[in-house]
Amino acid sequence: MPFVSSRRILVIALGGAALLSALPQSFQTPWSGTLAGVLWAPLVPGASVLAWARDWVRAPAEPYQGLPEELRAAREDRDRLQGELDATQMRVEELERELGELSGYRPADRAGWQPRLATVIERGAGRPAGLLGIDVGTAQGIGEGDPVVVGGNQIIGMIAAGGAENRSWVIPLDDRRCGRIDAIVLTGAADGASAASEGTGAAGKKADKGGKADKARNGGGASVLVQLVPQGNRRLIGELESPANVKKGDSVLLSDAGWRPAALGMQIGVVESVGALDANPLRRRITVRMESDPLRVPRVVVKVRVPGQGQAARGTGAAK
Amino acid sequence: MRWWVFIPVLALVLTMDAAFMPACSIGGHVPQLWPLLLAFVALYASRGSALWAAMMVGVWLDAMHPALDTSGATPRAVTVFGPHILACAAGAWCVLETRTWLYRRNVLTVAFSTFNCALLASLAYVAIAGIRSAYADSSPLWGDGSGGAAVGSDMVDALYSAVIAILPAWGLQSSLTVWGFATAGPRFAGGNRMNRGND
Repeated sequence: MPFVSSRRILVIALGGAALLSALPQSFQTPWSGTLAGVLWAPLVPGASVLAWARDWVRAPAEPYQGLPEELRAAREDRDRLQGELDATQMRVEELERELGELSGYRPADRAGWQPRLATVIERGAGRPAGLLGIDVGTAQGIGEGDPVVVGGNQIIGMIAAGGAENRSWVIPLDDRRCGRIDAIVLTGAADGASAASEGTGAAGKKADKGGKADKARNGGGASVLVQLVPQGNRRLIGELESPANVKKGDSVLLSDAGWRPAALGMQIGVVESVGALDANPLRRRITVRMESDPLRVPRVVVKVRVPGQGQAARGTGAAK
Repeated sequence: MRWWVFIPVLALVLTMDAAFMPACSIGGHVPQLWPLLLAFVALYASRGSALWAAMMVGVWLDAMHPALDTSGATPRAVTVFGPHILACAAGAWCVLETRTWLYRRNVLTVAFSTFNCALLASLAYVAIAGIRSAYADSSPLWGDGSGGAAVGSDMVDALYSAVIAILPAWGLQSSLTVWGFATAGPRFAGGNRMNRGND
């Protein structure tokens, strides 16, 4: 029996598709997400199995690959705690600034967060490119803007609005559509790391005493504000004042008030190169490289917002 | 064409594209299998069936690849139905137009048609997205970069998809009788097609 034999119906269907293509998004928003969820639902079980097969065929780029499981878990815990420490330090600095300007004081967002482990079931092949599909959604408490991390403190993106009950979309941090990102460069991180490995950690203690916690991490360095523009392919670029002592290998942390508090202090990546800016000799251009490739991570952790629970909620949520 | 064969194969192909094919990525270019399926169907099925199949593929692709609306505070993933439907129809049309002068039983022909199908679909998609971005979208549907860069990248993807398609194309050619194509009989002639109701 013919599927649909009428040529007229085919022409009408193509015309309908052309009309839908021409209409603005707002005409489709009320129903297209639901329809997409219904169409995607039958493919979910197969996609989960094939995602496992994909990771088996080609080992994903996970942090600390090749290390024993216990050591890897310990390092990830260390990174997570480091991320929380960085976030707290930034918060303390912000509070210090606010206390200095009493009139400008405003209550902080005290929301806590819980980790939700998610599997990447869809990668950004085809057009529009770049988004990652994960297998958790609003039913698991995932909300728009929630930060997505791997390896404890490496931020790789944020949750886009418009997710479904059991499916969400992650915008990778290196996607231009993430917008400009405020960050800080911890200058001297590379030197500090080498100094620490040589057993010269005394400088850090002095810095702590002085109330400049960031210096403790950097072995005497300082933090430099920079606004980054995502460039794709794991890279972001930014411009700096020339006097800033930024070197290759320095850590770059997210410090953007537009992001959720749980994202602040998470590591974006490391400085890959620092070069002169031809258009403005007083400024320099830095390239930041993300340490994890968003397109090659098999599992991610979403820091789900828990309103009103404060810092106590951190780390208490069981992973999925 | 037997739709009860096409639909499960389509589901398998789209699932593989979404979840498995990134394992074959080279330098950020990921091969896809849907152009192969569409090219195969367009090579053998009747014109109407091929276009319906293209529209079906397009609906699923639209559902699987949401656009990003960046006009709000938080970017929103929005599913836009239409662009992929037309793009796939354009890809299938390209194969339908060229199949008359191609030796269809050759696996390399299927791979060549896969390239044509993917490339024309990409051109159509970027064209539609370009028109939309002039008045409807806060950022172009194709994602990062310029339209030309998107087409260039898709051209490499199409080439890679065509290379990868050779092996599965052999499998599809072997299963030709299962599909019940009107134009795939041993001694096909126009008159035969007129009398076959399975189209």
